[in-house]
Amino acid sequence: MKRSGLVFGVMVLGIALLLWAGWHNLRERRLAMQQAQENHVVLVPEKAGAATTADSQSPEAEAMQMRGKVAPGFTLATLDGKKVSLSDYKGRPVLVNFWATWCGPCKVEMPWFEEFRKQYSAQGLEILGLADDVDAGKDAIAKVAQKTGVTYPILLTDGKIQKAYGGPDGMDYLPMSFYVDKNGVIVEETAGLGSKDEIEAHIKKIVASGATPAAGGQ
Amino acid sequence: MLPVGLAAQQVGNLDAPAVKPKSYVVYGAEQQTVAAGKRSVLELHFRVLDGYHVNSHTPKSELLIPTKIELQPSAGVKVEAVEYPSGISYSFSFDPTEKLDVYSGAFTVKLPVVAEVGTHTMDGTLRYQACDHAACYPPKSLPVQVIFTAK
Repeated sequence: MKRSGLVFGVMVLGIALLLWAGWHNLRERRLAMQQAQENHVVLVPEKAGAATTADSQSPEAEAMQMRGKVAPGFTLATLDGKKVSLSDYKGRPVLVNFWATWCGPCKVEMPWFEEFRKQYSAQGLEILGLADDVDAGKDAIAKVAQKTGVTYPILLTDGKIQKAYGGPDGMDYLPMSFYVDKNGVIVEETAGLGSKDEIEAHIKKIVASGATPAAGGQ
Repeated sequence: MLPVGLAAQQVGNLDAPAVKPKSYVVYGAEQQTVAAGKRSVLELHFRVLDGYHVNSHTPKSELLIPTKIELQPSAGVKVEAVEYPSGISYSFSFDPTEKLDVYSGAFTVKLPVVAEVGTHTMDGTLRYQACDHAACYPPKSLPVQVIFTAK
């Protein structure tokens, strides 16, 4: 009797110890979680609230702003000083691509554009590469164009064209591409690098567009 | 001050966040104390926001814009050559052959100084150029103020 009582007591003690250990473990984890939350650093961007306010837009949302609008016209100089206007390509599908020498993703898609330009030349496709960082100098811009194998016109931006296409702050990120159909309307706008297939799908849209060429607003 | 865990961390999340901030690097200003008249090293703590990276001070192409700090001269403070951390190797998923040298997460720039007794303030900027996994952002200048006491 005494022995069974002792065994019972040990069992009760063991169960109590297990329950205490479980409770202690839970409490420690809660404390650690609380401490981690207290140590959490909230990083405030340079312009207070800019990163978190509701008026901030994702690149995807921002890339929708020009879709459906007539492509703003421009006349810009090429690297060798020749003037090129968007209206020179009236009635033709045009891909207006903003890029910069410091932009890695831009340099990835530029050879693709060159390839598509040749592939869709019969349909009149033209690519216009607008260098966003004119301050880098013509030599640097020409070097990138050469390295990427680009032969389509590279145009030097004037500060105004970035605002016409990108809003008051200009181009917030690169690459930015505007797919202009034969009627001079931006039918697709992309921010950042997409896949080669996506780019071709957008090109196909503008190539197939406008049964009535020369009706547009370029 | 940034948590130790963050300061030690050199690799951040390189997936772009859905919301685009106006600045991609933040500066963790902190008061520091050094020995007057002796060469001491101030530490400037920065953090690249999650989802972004910036070129290191020594990017692998002359066309890329290096991260660089520029400080205005301050009376009673002699600044020696700034020491930048090494970058980490990074390549875009769409172009794995091109290796970049970048900072992501926390990084610390060391500033060796010899200062006279007193409290000193140095103003400057951190010039950097950020990218995420698919796009790059125009170069930016982050204001930096270094405040320290020499005793």
